[in-house]
Parts: sequence; structure tokens; C-alpha cells
Amino acid sequence: MSRLILIALRMLIWLLLTADPDELNVVIGLAVSLALPLPRRVRSLTPAQLWRALAASLAAVPQAYGEAVQLLLHRKLEESVLHDEPVLPSGRPSSVLVFLDVFRITLTPFTIALGLDDGGRSYRVHHLVFEEDRR
Amino acid sequence: MIPALAAGFSGLAQIASALLLLLGLVFWIAGSWPLLGRGSYLTKLHYLGISDTLGSALMLLGLLLRFQREWPLLLLALLSLVVWNTIFGYVLAACSQAARRFPPAP
Repeated sequence: MSRLILIALRMLIWLLLTADPDELNVVIGLAVSLALPLPRRVRSLTPAQLWRALAASLAAVPQAYGEAVQLLLHRKLEESVLHDEPVLPSGRPSSVLVFLDVFRITLTPFTIALGLDDGGRSYRVHHLVFEEDRR
Repeated sequence: MIPALAAGFSGLAQIASALLLLLGLVFWIAGSWPLLGRGSYLTKLHYLGISDTLGSALMLLGLLLRFQREWPLLLLALLSLVVWNTIFGYVLAACSQAARRFPPAP
């Protein structure tokens, strides 16, 4: 599943870059996508997990704009805290899921992911809060 | 009738595009201004995310409405910009955590 996503991503970049739906061009793109090296070992990823992570990442985009406006309007009130956010599927997740989670956390202006902690069980997250929320 | 409708739509697209470009510029300036202040490194990164990811994405959406024939390249630029800027922000934040980078010796 992870390898399929990687190949699909390469095809997408190729097709957008060349902007040519010609049959030969698609074949060349597919050949290049398959010829580039793929990771030898990947952790398992079910379509349901992928779908959930993708939906959460997409939902983060409008949320990010809402938070950006909020942050720009309340400039003087913020303070930063660190907290841990558990990795959703327990155990060591697939690298695609980690990528999507880090993207979702970092895209929203109030939170930035700082990395995996606790042997891959939670993300360290830097969080901005308003002073009135902390009391 | 149809050319008039098309012209009306194109005019609307031009206005929406100008609004998006302007809003992107506002995000750029508002998000970059705190970089000059005394906030912590990570706080500045939070604000930088507003200007370089969200502001630039709005500008590219504005350009998409304006130059509709170039949509594959603009879409590629939009995707790369949003993904790499966000991940680059994460890399900068993670690299600032110097003490955590290496596990303690056993």
C-alpha cells in the first residue's frame, strides 16, 4: 500500500509537470515512477487508516486558516507549552501515516510537531495558547 | 448571451483573484512582522507558518483563477509549497531541540 502511494505520487508529479495526457507520455511517466528506487521494507498500512489520515489532513486546511486569523488578532496573549499527542494507531505506524500526522499538526498555526517520542508512541507537540485558556 | 455570461464570469474571477492575492499579501506581512520581535524561536515559527504556507497558498489560488490555462503547473506549485513549507517548518522545529536529538548513552 505504501509503495503504491509512492508510485501514484510520482505519477501525479510527472503528469502535472508535463501537462500532457498523451499515451506515450503516460507510459514514460509510469516507467520512470517504477524505475526509481522504492523502500525495501515498509510497515503495513490499511486503506481505512490512510483514508482517515488523509481526511484529517484535508480538514486541517480550513482549520489552519481559522486559527491563523485568530492568532493574528490576539497577538499579545499567547504563551507556549509542550504536550504529547498519542499516535492514533497504536504501535509503530507506517511512515506515510507519520508524514500525514506531522503535516496535519504543523500546518495549523497553533501547533508544531517536534518529533516522535516515547519509542514512537506519541508526538511531541509545541502548542500556543492564550493566557486566559490556561487558567 | 453565452459570451456575456462568460465575460461576467471572467470579471468575477478577476475580482476574486485580486482579493485572494491581497489577502495572501496581508498574511505574508502579518505573519512575518513577529519575526522582528522578541518572541521565542518556536513562537516565531508558528507565525512564519501563517505567512509562508497559508499566505502563499492564497496567492497561488489567486493566480490559479487568473491564469486558468496554466493550471497543472500552478497546482503542482500549490501542492509542493503547502507540503514542503509545512514539513520544512517541522524540520526547523525538530532541529532546534538539540538535547533530544541524540539518545543518552547507556
